[in-house]
Amino acid sequence: MTAVIAASNLSKWYGNVLGLNDVSLEIEEGITGLLGPNGAGKSTFMKLITGQMKPAIGSVTVRGRKAWNDPGVYQGIGFCPEQDVFYEDVTGWEFVTGLLRFYGYSRTEIRERAARALDVVDLTADKDRLIRGYSRGMRQRVKFAQAVAHDPDILILDEPLSGLDPLGKRKLIKLIKDFKRQGRTVLVSSHVLPEIEALTSRVVLIHQGKILAQGDIPFIRELIEAHPHQISVRSSDPRALAARFVGDKSIQKMTFGADGRTLVVETHKRDAFFSRLTGVVLEAGIAVEEISSPDDNLQAVFEYLVGK
Amino acid sequence: MTGVSAVRQVFGFFSFLGRKTGKTRAFAILGLIPVALAVVVRIVLHGRSGLMAAVFTEILMVFFLQFYIVILALFYGTSVTAEEVENRTLSYLITRPIPKPAIVLGKSAAYAVLMFAMVGVSLALSYFIMNAARLSDPDLYATFFRYLGVLGLGVLAYTAFFTFLGAVLKRAIIVGMVFGFGWENVIQYFPGSTQKLSIVHYLKSLLPYHPPSVGGGGGGRGVALLLFRLEPTAPLAAILILAVVTAGFLALACWVFRMKEYLYEE
Repeated sequence: MTAVIAASNLSKWYGNVLGLNDVSLEIEEGITGLLGPNGAGKSTFMKLITGQMKPAIGSVTVRGRKAWNDPGVYQGIGFCPEQDVFYEDVTGWEFVTGLLRFYGYSRTEIRERAARALDVVDLTADKDRLIRGYSRGMRQRVKFAQAVAHDPDILILDEPLSGLDPLGKRKLIKLIKDFKRQGRTVLVSSHVLPEIEALTSRVVLIHQGKILAQGDIPFIRELIEAHPHQISVRSSDPRALAARFVGDKSIQKMTFGADGRTLVVETHKRDAFFSRLTGVVLEAGIAVEEISSPDDNLQAVFEYLVGK
Repeated sequence: MTGVSAVRQVFGFFSFLGRKTGKTRAFAILGLIPVALAVVVRIVLHGRSGLMAAVFTEILMVFFLQFYIVILALFYGTSVTAEEVENRTLSYLITRPIPKPAIVLGKSAAYAVLMFAMVGVSLALSYFIMNAARLSDPDLYATFFRYLGVLGLGVLAYTAFFTFLGAVLKRAIIVGMVFGFGWENVIQYFPGSTQKLSIVHYLKSLLPYHPPSVGGGGGGRGVALLLFRLEPTAPLAAILILAVVTAGFLALACWVFRMKEYLYEE
């Protein structure tokens, strides 16, 4: 399949700060998730694709054309920025129709497209309200509407799900998937793995300006599984609990927390540990207060991958 | 979309947005100051038209020429690019299929028209209130349009300059204030050709000029006249220079905006 977006040895600095470091990447049709913690370089990459920034080294092309200072490229791109910013003194309708003016459509077509886009995001009833009066979810949706109103075949969404309630997230995920079903290309960024998982199985992991890994979700999961999980169990008797697990071969390491009530376990077989823990706790009559997985977050996964 | 069409669309968008902002309301209210002053002067100096004309000249010079058009152009001109960066709305504009210079030209043109409307209304109200007794005099209208034209040229030249400053500098408003209320106010009173390094010099050159009478006062006044004397440039040359200043700074602003990356402050 031909790459829709292609980056070759792409680097970008902000003064002395490295934003993106030697990134080579090809993005094909369908949904690609750009996953990384805050400050990883996701937004920088998206700004380079949408021509908002100029590469320091390397190149980025969209359908074979360089993105920087080529307005022709932007005709087919819809961009939804991360920031919750708008021209606040206008209504949702004025915002979407105003931005549609820049595509050379007739007035009738602008109205039709704006009505369609606002309908898609369920904002028809609120289209004449000032954006400053919109809820966070409505603001995210009107941002999405302006990105899709001109029917782009490439959609670049920078953290589109942040700040949305679960229902809002589900609606937007459905919209993005509908967009993909129409044979278009979507690049969506997030720092939350489940959000990306809900959208696509094709993921690019980015951290400290570098592409750490790319592939489908099972591949990423495998990478993650290659590293031991930390599980913290706070209970009435952590030492008695530890004694029960001493002979367990799936446990690699056990330590006690500074509070004297926490047992921290490192294991490759998290599910096996949890199923055994239930039995042990019931059998020994140990009162468990809290079970948490301190490394079960994306940042920790990235740290594993970086340290690999 | 062609460049001209893009400029037109940007112009339309920002004409609409510009009218809705609180900044426009505030500056429109500011424009009522000379109107209120005109009402007071008309009541106080009722029947003394010569004195009223002199007062209006002062209003024109001090308020409109050296304050109102400068502060309007400073705030609107620098905001052409700076407000997009500060409000982080630039992404909505530069990801559209329009040339970047069209954004600068369309937006500055929209703001210039808006400023000209504010200046025009303020000038018309104050001028005709103070000259209400001479409304049948055709010279009254000729003078009004001359004043309006001069202020219009001033709006264009200052807007172009401040648009350029806004495109280049992060804190353009501070530098703009130093230029607009420091340099422009001081340099115009220097004798010789130094005063030609200010925009206001060319604007004043287009106004009716009354040379100071030599030896008309005491020694001190004579020195003052020497220091504060306008040495006008010929009207056609003044118009040409103002046009070159406007076109030159707008072209520079477009070039800078096209080449520069604008980063949002975290």
